[in-house]
Amino acid sequence: MSAIVELQGVEKIYPLGKLQVHALRGVDLAIGQGEFTSVAGPSGSGKTTLLNLVGCVDVPTKGTVIVDGRSTASLGDRALTDLRLHRLGFIFQTFNLVAVLDVFQNVEFPLLLKGGLTRKDRAARVDAILDAVGLTGQRRQRPSELSGGQRQRVAVARALVTSPHLVLADEPTANLDSATGRTIVDLMHEMNKKQGTTFIFSTHDARVMERADRVVRIEDGLVVGNGREVPEGSAA
Amino acid sequence: MTAALRMLVLLALRSIVSHKAKSLIVGGILAFGTFLLVLGTALLDSVEKAMADSITGTMVGHLQLYSAKAKDPLSFFGGPGGGGGSEELGSIPDFSAVRAAVERIPNVRAVVPMGRDAAMAVGGNEMDLSLEALRQAVKGGDAGAIRRAAAKVRQLAGFLQGEYKNLAGLSRDREKADRTLADLERANSDAFWADFSADPERALEFLDTRVAGVEGAEQTLFLNYIGTDLDAFQRNFGRFRIVKGTMVPAGHRGFLLNQSFLDERVKNRVARRLDKMRRDLHERGMTIASSKSLQEQVAANARQYGHVLYELGPDDAPKLESELRRLLPDCTGELPRLLECFLTLDDANFEARYDFFYRVVAPMIRLFRVDAGDTLTLRAFTRSGYTRAVNVKVWGTFTFDGLENSMLAGGYNLVDIMSFRDLFGLMTPERRRELESIRAQVGVADVGREDAENALFGSGGALVGEAETGRVEIAAPAPAHPAARAAQDEDRTFDRADLDKGVVVHAAVVLENPAKLYPTMAAVTKAVEPLGLKTVDWRQAAGIVGQLILLIKAVLYGAIVIIFLVALVIINNSMLMATMDRIPEIGTMRAIGAQRRFVLGMYLLETTVLGALASAAGAGLAAIAVALAHRIGIPAWTDTLLFLFGGPRLHPVLGAAQVVTAVVLIAIVSIAATWYPARVATRIAPVTAMQAGE
Repeated sequence: MSAIVELQGVEKIYPLGKLQVHALRGVDLAIGQGEFTSVAGPSGSGKTTLLNLVGCVDVPTKGTVIVDGRSTASLGDRALTDLRLHRLGFIFQTFNLVAVLDVFQNVEFPLLLKGGLTRKDRAARVDAILDAVGLTGQRRQRPSELSGGQRQRVAVARALVTSPHLVLADEPTANLDSATGRTIVDLMHEMNKKQGTTFIFSTHDARVMERADRVVRIEDGLVVGNGREVPEGSAA
Repeated sequence: MTAALRMLVLLALRSIVSHKAKSLIVGGILAFGTFLLVLGTALLDSVEKAMADSITGTMVGHLQLYSAKAKDPLSFFGGPGGGGGSEELGSIPDFSAVRAAVERIPNVRAVVPMGRDAAMAVGGNEMDLSLEALRQAVKGGDAGAIRRAAAKVRQLAGFLQGEYKNLAGLSRDREKADRTLADLERANSDAFWADFSADPERALEFLDTRVAGVEGAEQTLFLNYIGTDLDAFQRNFGRFRIVKGTMVPAGHRGFLLNQSFLDERVKNRVARRLDKMRRDLHERGMTIASSKSLQEQVAANARQYGHVLYELGPDDAPKLESELRRLLPDCTGELPRLLECFLTLDDANFEARYDFFYRVVAPMIRLFRVDAGDTLTLRAFTRSGYTRAVNVKVWGTFTFDGLENSMLAGGYNLVDIMSFRDLFGLMTPERRRELESIRAQVGVADVGREDAENALFGSGGALVGEAETGRVEIAAPAPAHPAARAAQDEDRTFDRADLDKGVVVHAAVVLENPAKLYPTMAAVTKAVEPLGLKTVDWRQAAGIVGQLILLIKAVLYGAIVIIFLVALVIINNSMLMATMDRIPEIGTMRAIGAQRRFVLGMYLLETTVLGALASAAGAGLAAIAVALAHRIGIPAWTDTLLFLFGGPRLHPVLGAAQVVTAVVLIAIVSIAATWYPARVATRIAPVTAMQAGE
């Protein structure tokens, strides 16, 4: 299986006044295409930093991050943005929908940014993905009119509508009750199996981790586990 | 691309709606700015157009030409050089050369010669005039005329006696007061008039020296006038219209009185005040009860009933007394007291008394001291200090349409250019011929300097003179009897060549198409520079009035710039605060693939849409305000405004250019105000999407 993500000796240091916070201290990691990977670890362990670097919204202080065959350090803002648009999908802990757009428009938004599709094609793709996440009946509702679970479904649909190679999800179930969270993970898993989309998601929840093909465990900015096992004491 | 643009517009609209406070602040400022800009420019452009019409259509023309060596700038309505004809402008030696050079330029309709000056027309008081009439009657030997004139003089003496009795008690010089009172008693006595026919010259001398002075100073009119080719003036100044009498016939000398000047300066003072009060009551909605100035005018009229009383003829005085007794049964006393009661006005009786005045009183008095058909003796100082006098017939009165009540438009009367040249001290062909004739009659000969002594003292006693070339100041010969001199002046005619070939002070250029003013001005300037002349546009030529609109515009634009600067700061701050609120939203957009230019476009479009909506609202409100003002008309409450508005009311119009200018300016201000917050928004890192909630 070829790697879609490779991290080689990655360090990330954040300046905090006169102090320097080492978020990652030399991470080596490779994630293959089609994997359904969970990144686990306690708060402040570096999970989100890892996802930011893989998601091309941040660059490493040291080391190399290769996403879909391209080293992010060598890319400028415009190229990184293009990479995110064409290759990546994002699911955020707090959903991050555009409040002034309705469900359909939120999902359509990345397609509009990509361009190249007719209105009809866009509508077909948006409707298909909304159908897949079970939100056909809510397509004209605003985010404020939806429940937390429904909002996260919209976020999943928005992440998947461009058929990305890799979807990054930062604590996608953290703001949901366990049943809804489970449904969201089921949905992600289903997409992973059906479409072969690579998923990397961070979580504290052991029941979510159980669904992962692989769990990458991070502590104090270092990868301390990189296998199938679910770390002890990770349950929320 | 279109879909993305649609999404941007949608985002902009939704953002405007969802950020209500910011949208209201920013939109309100932009709408107010547009309203002010559209309304202000519509009003000022309308005023400018009306003012241009007032200035170019009455007397200034579109361009003015005058000597490049002029010490002062030309200013018809006052300015740095004094204005009103007192400027030192030099002269244009040969008007025909200027006309030939300028009238061939495309778009030039006509060149009208001009010169402005001021003169006095001295007239006696009522007693002087009555005594002159008596003197003429005595000279003519017509018994009926002598009786009528004598009755008028006696009546005046009687009125003056009554007045003086009241005043004599206040006099410091009691002896002199008693003497004057005794003179008046004598002039009003049967014995004096019984002896009049025995020695009228002696009686007239007594009246001239002892009685005439009691009424007060003689009345002097100060007249500003434009000397011009009156036919050309009439043809080329569209607002000019004869009101009374006739136009001065071509080739004749003559004077045209400005009706506005006549109404405001020459008309009987009591009548003038009544007219003004009526205008204030009708046009300005004032009341006598509430207006101190109207009350003062009422008091002044009641005090100065003499302006009516002294004008009455011996037959009319008892008639008026009887009419007034019928009208004012409660008022007791003689005619002076009755007139005082009659002129004591209030809001209830004003209209009836005004009507009575013009129906009954006005036909009995001379409403105008000078009128069409009279002859004026004008006295003016030439530029070198000589006084010159010219008798000139008043052929008629004129006005400028729409500016009938404007004193600015009424500031100048008109006289033929030949009389003007005489008064101004400019050499005319006619004057040259007259001079040569005098020289021939008295045997004047040119004598060389070396022969001067012999000529003066040793060889034949010939009078030595020296002729000047060019502009020559000539002292007027002492006039013969005014009537004879008047007849002599009035009868003089001139031909076209006299008018064209002579000297003028400046010249008006009237254009076919005023829209091409400045290209034509450039061509005219090029044509007259070799003749030693300079060209100014109507704005400069008008003087301070012409500059007024520029001043008002500068104030408006200054205010708008300040408002826009304040708007810029407020909009910038509002947008910046809104940007801080939108960090997660923009971060998310950036994270999922929106480029910086998308964010920039989103911001600018949002402000553009808001600006477009606000400026549409502002322009719409301004259009309604302009339409209302157009329908009702903005009243001109001062004389200057009357002139600026081109009439008693300004009816402003809104042009597309004003709306487009305002919308473009608002768009520029909006974008300038949004630029910094938009740049800040483009710098929001996509990683912020990972850090914040919705």
